[in-house]
Amino acid sequence: MAIRMKTSSGQDTAPTHGDTVVQRIASAVPGWVWWLAGIVIAAGFPLLNVIGVVETAWLRVGVVSLIFVLLSLGLNIVMGETGLLNLGYIAFFAFGAYTTALLSSPKFEIRWPFLAVIVVSTLVAMVAGFLISLPTLRLRGDYLAIVTLAFGEIVRLTIINLVPLTNGPNGITGIYSPRLFAGAKPALEGIEAWFIIDKPLEYYYLVLVCVVVLAVLLTNLKNSRIGRAWNALREDELAAISSGITAVRAKMLSVVLSAGIAGFAGSLFAYYSNVISPESFLFMQSVIVVCMVVLGGMGSIPGVMLGAVVLQALPQLIREAAGAARSDFEVYRMLIYGILIVVMVIFRPEGLLPDKIFKREAHEVDPRELEMTRQSLFDLEEGEKDLGV
Amino acid sequence: MEPVLELQDVSMSFGGLKAVDSLSFAVRENEIVSIIGPNGSGKTTTFNLISGLYEPHSGDILLKGESVAGLRPDLVHDKGISRTFQSLRLFSNMNVLENVLVGMHSVTKAGPFASMLRLPSVRREEKAMYDKAQEILGMFPGRFSGPRQLQPAYSLSYANRRRLEIARALASDPVLLLLDEPVAGMNPAESHEVMEQIKMLREKGYTILMIEHDMHVVEGVSDRVIAMDHGVKIAEGTYDEVANDPQVVEAYLGKRAADATA
Amino acid sequence: MSFDHIMSVTIGGLTVGMIYALIALGYTMVYGVLKFINFAHGEVFTVGGYVAAFSLLAMGIDASTPWLKVAGAIALALVAAVTVPMALGFLIERIAYRPLRGRSRIIPLLSAIGVSIVLQQLIIIVFGPKPVTIPTLALSSASVNLFGVDVRVLALVIIAVSAALMVGLTYLVKSTRIGKAMRATSQDMEAAEMMGIDTNRTIAFTFLVGSALAGIGGLLVVMYYGSLKYDAGFLYGLKAFTSAVLGGIGNIPGAVVGAIVLGMTETYGVSVDLGFLAWFVLAGLALGIYVQMVRVPNRRLAHIAADRRTPEYERSIMNVYRLAPYHGIKTLLAERTDALLSVSAADAVRLMAGNIFLAVLATIMFINSSVRIDTRWQPVIAFVVLMVILMFRPSGILGEAVTEKV
Repeated sequence: MAIRMKTSSGQDTAPTHGDTVVQRIASAVPGWVWWLAGIVIAAGFPLLNVIGVVETAWLRVGVVSLIFVLLSLGLNIVMGETGLLNLGYIAFFAFGAYTTALLSSPKFEIRWPFLAVIVVSTLVAMVAGFLISLPTLRLRGDYLAIVTLAFGEIVRLTIINLVPLTNGPNGITGIYSPRLFAGAKPALEGIEAWFIIDKPLEYYYLVLVCVVVLAVLLTNLKNSRIGRAWNALREDELAAISSGITAVRAKMLSVVLSAGIAGFAGSLFAYYSNVISPESFLFMQSVIVVCMVVLGGMGSIPGVMLGAVVLQALPQLIREAAGAARSDFEVYRMLIYGILIVVMVIFRPEGLLPDKIFKREAHEVDPRELEMTRQSLFDLEEGEKDLGV
Repeated sequence: MEPVLELQDVSMSFGGLKAVDSLSFAVRENEIVSIIGPNGSGKTTTFNLISGLYEPHSGDILLKGESVAGLRPDLVHDKGISRTFQSLRLFSNMNVLENVLVGMHSVTKAGPFASMLRLPSVRREEKAMYDKAQEILGMFPGRFSGPRQLQPAYSLSYANRRRLEIARALASDPVLLLLDEPVAGMNPAESHEVMEQIKMLREKGYTILMIEHDMHVVEGVSDRVIAMDHGVKIAEGTYDEVANDPQVVEAYLGKRAADATA
Repeated sequence: MSFDHIMSVTIGGLTVGMIYALIALGYTMVYGVLKFINFAHGEVFTVGGYVAAFSLLAMGIDASTPWLKVAGAIALALVAAVTVPMALGFLIERIAYRPLRGRSRIIPLLSAIGVSIVLQQLIIIVFGPKPVTIPTLALSSASVNLFGVDVRVLALVIIAVSAALMVGLTYLVKSTRIGKAMRATSQDMEAAEMMGIDTNRTIAFTFLVGSALAGIGGLLVVMYYGSLKYDAGFLYGLKAFTSAVLGGIGNIPGAVVGAIVLGMTETYGVSVDLGFLAWFVLAGLALGIYVQMVRVPNRRLAHIAADRRTPEYERSIMNVYRLAPYHGIKTLLAERTDALLSVSAADAVRLMAGNIFLAVLATIMFINSSVRIDTRWQPVIAFVVLMVILMFRPSGILGEAVTEKV
């Protein structure tokens, strides 16, 4: 029953000391300014393409980065808020992508409307998340990590082996472009054709809108009773259930919700890339998303968004600049990601843009320091013996 | 009148050891009952049985006539029993206000989708929760005021952490409040203050069952005292009756000392 | 289904199982001491295999080399396959795990995953992305006749070597000073420290032993299959972990039992007809029905004394166990606020669902009795075993409860 006590290395208890000038200026700017700046940069970036400053290839990198932003926002719910590790996260992405591919491609000659496909893809991934969490949430957290890993591999191997449904390693090709309003008519003319999404620029804004909406929704959720229940479970499960939180239900909600977000992202990914194959759903992809969350800061919504953009866009930049071959490049990229995870969890487990609660939790305590903090801050007042209650 | 809490012949053993043996007692409305006893006499086990962390092997636990024995802890909390822990189990990295808000989880109901959209109903509920939290924290004057509510729980002084745990337990308006050694580790002035606060809680209508070692506090607040030893209730009555009971003296001081005082 | 076929499949399964066991011991020992899944252990195994293969290649042996020289080469390869992984295991613990000891659980696990990724990429960078292949030796193709079946000598060597190592390990843990220190550390690290045990040294030693066993596993795999791929450690590691969980994680004999069961399941799964496998499913079903109808109700009756509730209430609980779909779900719906009953009923429904699943599975298998599972599904078997064991008996065959203890 020993209580775990943690504190940061003193920075957050004494915010004006030890921080760099940059940090001090950064903390003086209100939060909404950063949000606004982020949205303006993200929304303005394609204009550089329109005026011809950057190539369309960059726009494509942007679209994929934004899809990974969605993924890391989803994984963050499980990993950051609830403190459970999901190592097969990409499987839910695969569920969304394959559902979309089957419902909107020449494979079975089906062409459901865009909105229906994206909703069904999300739901399929959520059901998968529900089924996987049903038996495992009673177990210790690290078992969930291994079970989800096994689940991810089962899904991938099934995709490869279930040739009649998935075309196996060849994947499903020719996924139809989404149409926002015009349903399933085979050909569109005139004004209706405006609502076909098939250019990188259009995809970019479609995904960007989804990212912004999702970030707002998840920020609300984080600051609600549900978000607090997740954090409480992560902090001290016994105290949380004794405070009336139903642990299994709360954890299940977080697993299912994050699976749904992955399914949603998978659906967008399938539409965008036209072709999907099992290669996009390797274990390494799950690790990459984990790495994005760790780098950005577990539990921090702006953090994981930053992490996803940095880890998805930066390697492409470097690759373009170095002109390296794809296979070599992948090896070094993963090497750096692996090192990044280890270095981050040892030296800065709270990530680049930390969540305030996780930051405190991630650091180990030095009891003497804790005692000093306590005395310096409060015990002056504690000494006043005001008994007149 | 029906008691708030009633234990009927509750037993619980770990392996061969009977931690609680045929324990029966009742707590009536708006009463403060203290359980005393040497270490290892089964007091905390009794608390764990009542709050649902353990399931009794036999016997029943009734809250206002309804059985809560063996219910999951979160369901016991829903029925109206909330507790504090001897070893302080706050959400150390969450701030003071958040700790109290978590305590309200079971009496609030905003669902995931409503929360995501921050519907007006959710906003109203959050506002009500905030006001309620201010009211509860206000019961500890000067301790949790203003900016201190945004301090993480681990940075509080020991006494304030104990107070915060009581505040968290109060957040759900419990029918019965279980306090596990509320003044453990406090200096006399602090424990006096907590004692006054416990008395004040009774005036507000709360029913309290507490475990306490500090006899000064037990004497000061208890309507009735229950003494336990080796999992068995050895005495029950007012503080004076129990304190002078030869069995109780024996349990604390040993047989010879008991004979000497007799 | 001839005797010859069964025999050779059994020996094949046993061989694979023994290799899993060598790796699983590393997982289970580290878990026992640190309550932590050493994710990078599979990569340590791969490194062992690669080092062994490259030392064999460096000594230039082939099928025509005299046997004495071959033996010498193998001995040197063994030394390399033990020392390099040991050094690696030691370094990993020192650099990536020790600084994180005592942090919240997700943090060291993340570090382990990072290390695993780093090692895999390093193997590619150092040794190249192509699988390493060793020349065919006389030893690797030799076979002996056992009960009228040709068995590869190497298979017997693997079984014998692994068995000897496991006996040695059991002795080490049970009877030596350092073994006692390991057991003490796994019970309570703080208390062990106060008793004067150097827990850091003990933990480092655990990593050394585990890594050495994995390295030997790597050597044996390279010799048995003749080649190894850079990502082999992922699958071997997961299967070994599955074995450890199957046997009860933290339990040394359990890891061996689990590994043999897994090796057999995998090999039988793709080598014999469904009609034959169906008998095993039937045996499992019989066990399941016994648990549902007799064992659990009796245990429960013994657990709750009669005075606790009314007899009708007790009966309804027992009915939940015995006849979940008939009576249990009705009770479950009627009294779902009562957690005691709903928890029991949920368990009962799960048991029942498991039994129905087994019955349906057996029926399907008997109907398609001449079909054989395609080998490409083989990797899936281990994952399915892992998920099933965690669903129905997370404590494993020989282990204690692993449900989150509060």
